[in-house]
Amino acid sequence: MRYQFDWSVLWSGQTGQWLLYGVVTTLEISALGWILALLLGVISGALRTAGFKPLAFLATFYVEFFRNVPLLVWMFFWYFAVPPLFPRPVQEWLFGHGAEFVAGMVALGVYHGARFSEMIRSGIQSIPKQQFEAALSTGLTVAQTYRLVIIPIALRLIIPPITNESLNLLKNSSVALTIGVAELTFQTRQIETYTAKAFEALTAGTLIYLALCLGLSFIMARIERRFTIPGMIARVSPAEH
Amino acid sequence: MKRWILPLVVLVAILGSRAPAASETTLEKLARTGTLTIGTRTGSPPFAYVNKKNEWVGFSIELVEELILPHVSKKTGKPVKLEKKESTPATRIPLLTSRAVDLIAETMTDTRSRRESVDFSIVFFITGAQFLVKKESPIKGIKDIAGKRVAAQQGSTNARIIRERVPTARLLEFPDQPAGFQALVQGQVDAYTNDGIQLAGLRVKAPNPRDWEIVGDFYSYEPYAMALRKGDADFRNAVNNGLMEGIDSGRFFQIYEKWFGPKGELPYPMSPDIKKFIQYQAVPK
Repeated sequence: MRYQFDWSVLWSGQTGQWLLYGVVTTLEISALGWILALLLGVISGALRTAGFKPLAFLATFYVEFFRNVPLLVWMFFWYFAVPPLFPRPVQEWLFGHGAEFVAGMVALGVYHGARFSEMIRSGIQSIPKQQFEAALSTGLTVAQTYRLVIIPIALRLIIPPITNESLNLLKNSSVALTIGVAELTFQTRQIETYTAKAFEALTAGTLIYLALCLGLSFIMARIERRFTIPGMIARVSPAEH
Repeated sequence: MKRWILPLVVLVAILGSRAPAASETTLEKLARTGTLTIGTRTGSPPFAYVNKKNEWVGFSIELVEELILPHVSKKTGKPVKLEKKESTPATRIPLLTSRAVDLIAETMTDTRSRRESVDFSIVFFITGAQFLVKKESPIKGIKDIAGKRVAAQQGSTNARIIRERVPTARLLEFPDQPAGFQALVQGQVDAYTNDGIQLAGLRVKAPNPRDWEIVGDFYSYEPYAMALRKGDADFRNAVNNGLMEGIDSGRFFQIYEKWFGPKGELPYPMSPDIKKFIQYQAVPK
């Protein structure tokens, strides 16, 4: 009467291939979504601090609108509500070329971009005002000051929260299965469908997500160490008493 | 460094101590708790759904209430009440094996690979996979879907058959029925495939039922049965006997008529062949 575990379902037949395909899709959609999120986050985060009211308002609107609606709703929005806005031939082309992947990627990127934006804003605001004034006094324009001084420093300051949010993005990519993206969670369900071995499939999915996230944390920790600015936040050795 | 070992030992001990409960049979559990917990759906009309009056009802739920529950109560010697929990294709087997529910009563197809993980009752409904398409679509059955975009429900047997038989069809799988139908409405896909009876349910609920057509012969065989934990023969007999007595007395067909008759939630007359099949399943006393 006890459940009989049969771990061989994870590598017999096609299942190994499915898991691999799922991992690749998860990494693809997460990486592309992450790039989009970072771009949107940097731009809107910078605009919110730049002191030009209309653009700051626009950026605030973006952040509050996109971070306060559940990601699942955004998935459906980008997949079901956006394509009908295009003319019919464009729609046809999109549907024939993986519209669900693009919609999922945009949903992830735009949603997490709003969350990145707040971190980047806090990073920029933690930089002393004098730094900004000093940069301007060397003859840089405001845009140059942001591009060459403020944002590079802000990005280095906020690596720990960005790591956190990147891990969230990677795990949230599983929501894309609701619009039919064949990512990792989708594939573990697929294995369950074919073999009726739910525990084995879910365990495999859990361990793979754990490995992916630990790998990402490790890489981000390396980046953090490499780019840290001594004296600004990093306390490399324990505090002295 | 070793500080984590103690909590780990405690955790293992807690998990381990739960093991003896697993040797309790389902009937013993029902006698102890006085409750039969079933896993069922909230959005699969008319098998199991929440109706306009906000009641959780349906054909498969009524079979449990009217036929199985009285029999199980007799077996355990005391009244057993029914508790319903939501289950989905992805969660129903884990719910059952982890003892969160005792019986799955929804639209689950009995298959040979599933029988390696769970046991099934006798069959209570028979359908097969078909396609839902826009009226006047060139798709008339499984032979027309090569190169076409087809949506299916993830976790269903249909997707698997399409993948094996027509690998050139572009298959998109959605975890739930409304999303798949929405994709068809908007033209993301050319057809939506599922069990014929599910498609009939979707079509009736669509804003303009006449715009949609259910096409093709059954390309799969989907006998719906109730799932229970593997190797629990006494409980399985109790469930089956309840159903068989209902078939003998005709109560089973009355309940069918209530949901699928001309005045039912979804008119779907039972063919004479299927009626015979259901009757032959009821073995003599």
